[in-house]
Amino acid sequence: MRGARVRWYARGPRTTPDVMSEIRQLPLGVRWRDSSTFATFVQGGNALVLEQLRALRGGPPVALWLWGAPASGRTHLLQASCAYAGELGRTAAYLSPAGRDAPGPEALDGCESLDLVCIDDVETLSGQAGWERALFNLYNGLQESGGHLLLAATQPPAGVRWALADLQSRMGGALTLQVKGLAEADKVQVLRLRARNRGLELPEETAAFLLRHFPRDLRSLCRLLDTLDSASLAAQRRLTVPFIKEAIEAARQQQPAG
Amino acid sequence: MQASLWNRCLRLLESEVPEQQFNTWVRPLQAVEENGVLRLFAPNRFVVDWLTLNLRSRIEELVDAVSDTETPQLQLEVGSRAAALAISHPEESQAPAAQAARTRRTKPRPTVIGGRLNPDFNFTTFVEGKSNQLARAAAVQVAENPGRAYNPLFIYGGVGLGKTHLMHAVANMIWTRNPDARLAYVHSERFVGDMVKALQHNTINEFKTAYRSLDALLIDDIQFFAGKERSQEEFFHTFNALLEGQQQVILTCDRYPKEVTGLEERLKSRFGWGLTVAIEPPELETCVAILMSKASATGVELPEDVAFFIAKRIRSNVRELEGALRRVVANSQFTGRPITTDFAKESLRDLLALQEKLVTVENIQKTVAEYYKIRVADLLSKRRSRSIARPRQVAMAMAKELTNHSLPEIGDAFGGRDHTTVLHACKRIKDLRESETRVREDYSNLLRTLTG
Repeated sequence: MRGARVRWYARGPRTTPDVMSEIRQLPLGVRWRDSSTFATFVQGGNALVLEQLRALRGGPPVALWLWGAPASGRTHLLQASCAYAGELGRTAAYLSPAGRDAPGPEALDGCESLDLVCIDDVETLSGQAGWERALFNLYNGLQESGGHLLLAATQPPAGVRWALADLQSRMGGALTLQVKGLAEADKVQVLRLRARNRGLELPEETAAFLLRHFPRDLRSLCRLLDTLDSASLAAQRRLTVPFIKEAIEAARQQQPAG
Repeated sequence: MQASLWNRCLRLLESEVPEQQFNTWVRPLQAVEENGVLRLFAPNRFVVDWLTLNLRSRIEELVDAVSDTETPQLQLEVGSRAAALAISHPEESQAPAAQAARTRRTKPRPTVIGGRLNPDFNFTTFVEGKSNQLARAAAVQVAENPGRAYNPLFIYGGVGLGKTHLMHAVANMIWTRNPDARLAYVHSERFVGDMVKALQHNTINEFKTAYRSLDALLIDDIQFFAGKERSQEEFFHTFNALLEGQQQVILTCDRYPKEVTGLEERLKSRFGWGLTVAIEPPELETCVAILMSKASATGVELPEDVAFFIAKRIRSNVRELEGALRRVVANSQFTGRPITTDFAKESLRDLLALQEKLVTVENIQKTVAEYYKIRVADLLSKRRSRSIARPRQVAMAMAKELTNHSLPEIGDAFGGRDHTTVLHACKRIKDLRESETRVREDYSNLLRTLTG
């Protein structure tokens, strides 16, 4: 709630008489921190996935493999699993080998002492001998210690070719679950939830407008909402359809061409 | 040993540090507070370096802010809480680890070196078939007469066929018959790693003594010794010492010893002194038996015809069979539906479909055009006759359903139409699917073709 409180103060002037309407409100540098927990995940058709992730402690399987299209919520689920492990007093780590500050395979050293290790975009590691070996050792170590490995990819294990046959078969034994993309109504729910967390009201018709006019994957939509959030704060206006048309046009013009 | 001070810091850090960074660098830390020192253990050097560079001073500030009494000194190092406690409080160290272990598995069997023995890997749970009966018989003999029947026992075969299971079964049986037996189960990579550490820390003599005083040594996947000459040398001496003392050695490998490249000849020839047995991929009936046995072990009723269905599709190795079974069982427990062949087929759809086909607008246009026997150019044209307009509307509705493109983009892709035209098409098709059987069927046929 920390972020929400900051936001509430930032929006303070709007409730006072309109003496400052000529002055543009400067958005504070403090942003709401979206927390990726199970509670903030709109489940859509993914109830089984959530159930299995919550049950990922104690006993087999060693590995759980989540796969789904880009922007289907895999990263959210991995982060949420870390947070959930933390709530239970368990140790966990999240690794994204595809990220900008991508680590090397040595990032997995010693991780077998943790209760849960989450690796995002795991298919990007296939064919890299060092990584494959590290992953193989981590799997064996976690199996021995009773820990768990949570992996996310765009394909099921059978679609990823590992050079190390030993790793291939281990991945094939993972509990494999697909993360299904959300239906439009659920996407609207995600956007409205996200808006509410920022102290914004996103009217139904505005959400529908966004889905009618813009790419409808959640990543793009959330990015759009962030832009609108800043714009609404600066202009002290609600997220009405006319306002967002204006704001998006303004943002487009600010962007360098190309 | 509750790290309450650290827990308070954690809560503050969690609200300050971006989530991904927090989960990558902070959450894996394990804390121990004692004697005015807060020791934070990171899994590796990489984490220590990052924290030192980016967050250490902030952590120190927070520790200072939340400590009620004197601020403890912060120590950031590579290691784990369990290892640290084992050194400073040998009598207590078992507590958290053993507790965790208890909740994780049923009574793990201790070993002198290396991993715990998996109690589920025993002879009772090992499903015998033509492909593995020789190996199983040899393993039982070894377990009954360790050091005397066949020494070494060398089990080889492809991945996921049960080599490790047999190895653990032997050790579990030795342990049951003689609870004082000194056993070690190590993966060959771990043997190499431990030896390198022993060399670095000048403890190679302790390393040698530990390995040479065992009653039974089990080394998994010795193909990973390939090319590691120093490890092979050390292993060679350990191996000889154990064999001379009639202590049992069991090795597994993914291929026949003579075929492992990068392994010294003298090792290869010694591996042949005992008994070398192969495990072949299981035949269909054995796969079925394995599935039924695994299912009943988890208290699930798996009809034989379903076991046959799964086994026919996944025959490469046992691990993959298990993966498939897990998926079906998870689905059945979740939905409360009984496991039938159709249910298994449905549950395994995403497992068996190699890859969800990438659905693009172009792909949709092509498929729809083929289905209605018109040209893609017609779909994009201005023509508005029913025979063209209806397929065009179907294709637009599918593009909205199956892709994340914006409606203006979809309109553009259909010959520069407006997004309201796309909306209209979607609404029209939605209504027609309800009122006209033909449209409903066409739509579901196309959906099947496109999504596989």
